Amino acid sequence: MNTLDEEDGCAGCKATVTPKWRQDFPIEWEGDHYVSRREMVKFLTLGSLLLASANWVTVVASRLLHRGSYVNRYIGSASALDQAGSMLFRYPTDGDPCIAIRTPEGKVVAYSQVCTHLSCAVVYDKAENGLFCPCHHGLFNLAGQPIAGPPTRPLPRVQLEQRGDQLFAVGMEAL
Amino acid sequence: MSLRRQGTTLFSAMLAFVGAAVVLQLWLLTVSMEALLSGAYKTLIPAATGSTVLLLINAGLLRYVFRFDRDAHGE
Repeated sequence: MNTLDEEDGCAGCKATVTPKWRQDFPIEWEGDHYVSRREMVKFLTLGSLLLASANWVTVVASRLLHRGSYVNRYIGSASALDQAGSMLFRYPTDGDPCIAIRTPEGKVVAYSQVCTHLSCAVVYDKAENGLFCPCHHGLFNLAGQPIAGPPTRPLPRVQLEQRGDQLFAVGMEAL
Repeated sequence: MSLRRQGTTLFSAMLAFVGAAVVLQLWLLTVSMEALLSGAYKTLIPAATGSTVLLLINAGLLRYVFRFDRDAHGE
Protein backbone atom coordinates (compact mmCIF):
# COMPACT_ATOMS: atom_id res chain seq x y z
CA MET A 1 0.00 0.00 0.00
CA ASN A 2 1.34 3.44 -0.93
CA THR A 3 1.72 5.79 2.06
CA LEU A 4 2.92 8.85 0.22
CA ASP A 5 1.30 12.19 0.98
CA GLU A 6 1.60 15.81 0.13
CA GLU A 7 4.94 16.05 1.99
CA ASP A 8 6.41 13.67 -0.51
CA GLY A 9 5.16 15.83 -3.33
CA CYS A 10 2.57 13.36 -4.54
CA ALA A 11 -0.24 15.78 -5.37
CA GLY A 12 -2.33 13.08 -6.97
CA CYS A 13 -2.30 10.87 -3.87
CA LYS A 14 -3.38 13.62 -1.44
CA ALA A 15 -7.06 12.77 -1.20
CA THR A 16 -6.80 8.97 -0.98
CA VAL A 17 -3.70 8.10 1.10
CA THR A 18 -3.32 8.71 4.87
CA PRO A 19 0.24 9.17 6.11
CA LYS A 20 1.49 6.49 8.47
CA TRP A 21 2.14 8.89 11.36
CA ARG A 22 -1.44 10.12 11.17
CA GLN A 23 -2.79 6.60 11.58
CA ASP A 24 -1.22 6.50 15.05
CA PHE A 25 -2.51 9.96 16.05
CA PRO A 26 -6.13 10.03 14.94
CA ILE A 27 -8.32 13.07 15.51
CA GLU A 28 -11.55 11.26 16.41
CA TRP A 29 -12.08 9.58 19.81
CA GLU A 30 -13.10 6.30 18.24
CA GLY A 31 -9.86 6.14 16.31
CA ASP A 32 -7.85 7.16 19.36
CA HIS A 33 -9.30 4.31 21.46
CA TYR A 34 -8.64 1.92 18.62
CA VAL A 35 -4.94 2.80 18.50
CA SER A 36 -4.30 2.93 22.28
CA ARG A 37 -5.95 -0.46 22.95
CA ARG A 38 -4.04 -2.05 20.11
CA GLU A 39 -0.79 -0.67 21.50
CA MET A 40 -1.73 -1.89 24.97
CA VAL A 41 -2.30 -5.43 23.68
CA LYS A 42 1.17 -5.35 22.09
CA PHE A 43 2.72 -4.03 25.30
CA LEU A 44 1.00 -6.65 27.47
CA THR A 45 2.06 -9.46 25.13
CA LEU A 46 5.66 -8.29 25.48
CA GLY A 47 5.18 -8.36 29.26
CA SER A 48 3.72 -11.84 28.94
CA LEU A 49 6.84 -12.97 27.08
CA LEU A 50 9.08 -11.58 29.81
CA LEU A 51 7.05 -13.25 32.57
CA ALA A 52 7.09 -16.64 30.81
CA SER A 53 10.87 -16.29 30.33
CA ALA A 54 11.32 -15.43 34.01
CA ASN A 55 9.38 -18.58 34.92
CA TRP A 56 11.77 -20.72 32.87
CA VAL A 57 14.72 -18.91 34.47
CA THR A 58 13.50 -20.19 37.87
CA VAL A 59 13.49 -23.75 36.43
CA VAL A 60 17.07 -23.35 35.15
CA ALA A 61 18.14 -21.75 38.45
CA SER A 62 16.77 -24.70 40.42
CA ARG A 63 18.79 -27.11 38.26
CA LEU A 64 21.97 -25.07 38.64
CA LEU A 65 21.56 -24.61 42.39
CA HIS A 66 21.32 -28.31 43.12
CA ARG A 67 23.39 -29.86 40.37
CA GLY A 68 25.51 -32.68 41.69
CA SER A 69 23.81 -32.67 45.08
CA TYR A 70 22.92 -35.57 47.35
CA VAL A 71 26.35 -36.99 47.73
CA ASN A 72 27.15 -38.60 51.07
CA ARG A 73 28.68 -36.09 53.43
CA TYR A 74 30.12 -36.59 56.91
CA ILE A 75 28.40 -34.15 59.28
CA GLY A 76 29.85 -35.06 62.69
CA SER A 77 29.89 -37.67 65.39
CA ALA A 78 26.84 -39.01 67.20
CA SER A 79 28.56 -38.57 70.58
CA ALA A 80 29.11 -34.85 69.93
CA LEU A 81 25.44 -34.55 69.03
CA ASP A 82 24.45 -36.30 72.26
CA GLN A 83 26.43 -33.75 74.27
CA ALA A 84 25.17 -30.65 72.50
CA GLY A 85 21.59 -31.75 71.78
CA SER A 86 21.79 -30.21 68.32
CA MET A 87 24.44 -29.73 65.67
CA LEU A 88 24.71 -27.42 62.67
CA PHE A 89 26.03 -28.57 59.32
CA ARG A 90 25.77 -27.73 55.62
CA TYR A 91 24.05 -29.96 53.10
CA PRO A 92 23.80 -30.57 50.14
CA THR A 93 26.02 -27.56 49.34
CA ASP A 94 28.01 -25.20 51.51
CA GLY A 95 25.24 -22.65 51.03
CA ASP A 96 22.52 -24.81 52.63
CA PRO A 97 22.52 -24.65 56.44
CA CYS A 98 20.96 -27.64 58.24
CA ILE A 99 20.43 -28.72 61.81
CA ALA A 100 20.62 -32.21 63.35
CA ILE A 101 18.83 -32.97 66.61
CA ARG A 102 18.80 -35.86 69.05
CA THR A 103 15.11 -36.24 69.99
CA PRO A 104 14.06 -37.14 73.57
CA GLU A 105 13.18 -40.59 72.17
CA GLY A 106 16.80 -41.04 71.14
CA LYS A 107 16.36 -40.71 67.39
CA VAL A 108 18.56 -38.47 65.26
CA VAL A 109 16.69 -36.21 62.84
CA ALA A 110 17.95 -33.42 60.60
CA TYR A 111 16.25 -30.60 58.73
CA SER A 112 17.11 -27.63 56.62
CA GLN A 113 17.72 -24.70 58.93
CA VAL A 114 15.96 -22.30 56.55
CA CYS A 115 12.51 -21.37 57.85
CA THR A 116 9.82 -21.93 55.21
CA HIS A 117 8.25 -18.59 56.07
CA LEU A 118 10.90 -15.98 55.25
CA SER A 119 14.14 -17.99 55.29
CA CYS A 120 15.45 -17.10 58.75
CA ALA A 121 17.55 -19.72 60.50
CA VAL A 122 15.61 -21.96 62.90
CA VAL A 123 17.21 -23.10 66.17
CA TYR A 124 16.55 -26.03 68.46
CA ASP A 125 14.36 -25.08 71.42
CA LYS A 126 14.68 -27.73 74.11
CA ALA A 127 11.89 -26.29 76.26
CA GLU A 128 9.38 -26.33 73.40
CA ASN A 129 10.83 -29.58 72.04
CA GLY A 130 10.87 -28.13 68.54
CA LEU A 131 12.61 -25.88 66.07
CA PHE A 132 12.04 -22.21 66.76
CA CYS A 133 12.33 -19.37 64.29
CA PRO A 134 13.27 -16.19 66.20
CA CYS A 135 12.31 -13.79 63.39
CA HIS A 136 8.53 -14.22 63.54
CA HIS A 137 8.16 -16.76 66.36
CA GLY A 138 7.42 -19.71 64.12
CA LEU A 139 7.66 -23.17 65.65
CA PHE A 140 8.14 -26.58 64.03
CA ASN A 141 7.84 -29.88 65.86
CA LEU A 142 10.58 -32.51 65.64
CA ALA A 143 8.80 -34.10 62.67
CA GLY A 144 9.45 -30.82 60.80
CA GLN A 145 5.78 -29.81 60.72
CA PRO A 146 4.81 -26.19 61.47
CA ILE A 147 2.79 -25.97 64.69
CA ALA A 148 2.83 -22.26 65.56
CA GLY A 149 3.48 -18.88 63.98
CA PRO A 150 3.43 -17.85 60.34
CA PRO A 151 5.12 -20.86 58.59
CA THR A 152 2.68 -23.10 56.71
CA ARG A 153 5.05 -25.57 54.99
CA PRO A 154 7.19 -28.23 56.69
CA LEU A 155 10.98 -27.99 56.85
CA PRO A 156 12.82 -30.05 54.19
CA ARG A 157 14.14 -33.18 55.88
CA VAL A 158 17.73 -34.38 55.52
CA GLN A 159 18.15 -38.15 55.25
CA LEU A 160 20.82 -39.42 57.62
CA GLU A 161 22.84 -42.56 57.93
CA GLN A 162 24.77 -43.61 61.03
CA ARG A 163 27.95 -45.67 60.59
CA GLY A 164 29.29 -46.45 64.02
CA ASP A 165 29.71 -43.10 65.73
CA GLN A 166 29.78 -41.18 62.47
CA LEU A 167 26.77 -39.41 61.00
CA PHE A 168 26.39 -38.91 57.26
CA ALA A 169 23.86 -36.86 55.32
CA VAL A 170 22.83 -38.91 52.28
CA GLY A 171 19.94 -37.00 50.71
CA MET A 172 17.05 -34.60 51.01
CA GLU A 173 13.43 -35.63 51.04
CA ALA A 174 11.62 -34.16 48.06
CA LEU A 175 9.03 -31.53 48.91
CA MET B 1 -20.96 -0.61 11.97
CA SER B 2 -17.53 0.21 10.48
CA LEU B 3 -14.69 -2.25 10.70
CA ARG B 4 -12.75 0.19 12.89
CA ARG B 5 -15.68 0.51 15.32
CA GLN B 6 -15.96 -3.28 15.48
CA GLY B 7 -12.23 -3.39 16.13
CA THR B 8 -12.53 -1.00 19.09
CA THR B 9 -15.05 -3.29 20.80
CA LEU B 10 -13.06 -6.37 19.94
CA PHE B 11 -9.81 -4.90 21.27
CA SER B 12 -11.51 -3.91 24.54
CA ALA B 13 -12.50 -7.53 25.12
CA MET B 14 -9.10 -8.75 23.96
CA LEU B 15 -7.32 -6.26 26.21
CA ALA B 16 -9.31 -7.49 29.22
CA PHE B 17 -8.43 -11.11 28.42
CA VAL B 18 -4.73 -10.42 27.82
CA GLY B 19 -4.58 -8.29 30.99
CA ALA B 20 -6.10 -11.13 33.05
CA ALA B 21 -3.63 -13.60 31.51
CA VAL B 22 -0.68 -11.35 32.39
CA VAL B 23 -1.92 -11.02 36.00
CA LEU B 24 -2.16 -14.82 36.13
CA GLN B 25 1.41 -15.09 34.80
CA LEU B 26 2.57 -12.65 37.44
CA TRP B 27 0.98 -14.83 40.11
CA LEU B 28 2.64 -17.93 38.62
CA LEU B 29 6.00 -16.18 38.77
CA THR B 30 5.58 -15.27 42.44
CA VAL B 31 4.59 -18.88 43.20
CA SER B 32 7.67 -20.10 41.31
CA MET B 33 9.98 -17.73 43.16
CA GLU B 34 8.59 -18.83 46.50
CA ALA B 35 8.92 -22.49 45.48
CA LEU B 36 12.50 -21.93 44.30
CA LEU B 37 13.52 -20.31 47.58
CA SER B 38 11.85 -22.99 49.69
CA GLY B 39 13.25 -25.88 47.63
CA ALA B 40 9.85 -27.13 46.37
CA TYR B 41 11.11 -27.75 42.85
CA LYS B 42 8.21 -29.95 41.77
CA THR B 43 6.00 -26.94 41.16
CA LEU B 44 8.46 -25.05 38.94
CA ILE B 45 7.97 -26.88 35.62
CA PRO B 46 4.12 -26.93 35.75
CA ALA B 47 4.15 -23.21 36.59
CA ALA B 48 6.53 -22.42 33.72
CA THR B 49 4.46 -24.56 31.33
CA GLY B 50 1.26 -22.78 32.38
CA SER B 51 2.93 -19.42 31.87
CA THR B 52 4.09 -20.48 28.39
CA VAL B 53 0.57 -21.59 27.44
CA LEU B 54 -0.76 -18.18 28.47
CA LEU B 55 2.00 -16.53 26.44
CA LEU B 56 1.01 -18.55 23.37
CA ILE B 57 -2.63 -17.53 23.79
CA ASN B 58 -1.58 -13.88 24.10
CA ALA B 59 0.70 -14.18 21.07
CA GLY B 60 -2.17 -15.73 19.08
CA LEU B 61 -4.42 -12.82 20.01
CA LEU B 62 -1.70 -10.32 19.06
CA ARG B 63 -1.35 -12.03 15.70
CA TYR B 64 -5.08 -11.62 15.25
CA VAL B 65 -4.69 -7.89 16.06
CA PHE B 66 -2.05 -7.53 13.34
CA ARG B 67 -4.22 -9.33 10.83
CA PHE B 68 -7.22 -7.22 11.80
CA ASP B 69 -5.14 -4.06 11.37
CA ARG B 70 -4.07 -5.18 7.95
CA ASP B 71 -7.68 -5.78 6.95
CA ALA B 72 -8.81 -2.46 8.46
CA HIS B 73 -6.17 -0.55 6.53
CA GLY B 74 -7.21 -2.29 3.39
CA GLU B 75 -10.86 -1.35 3.97
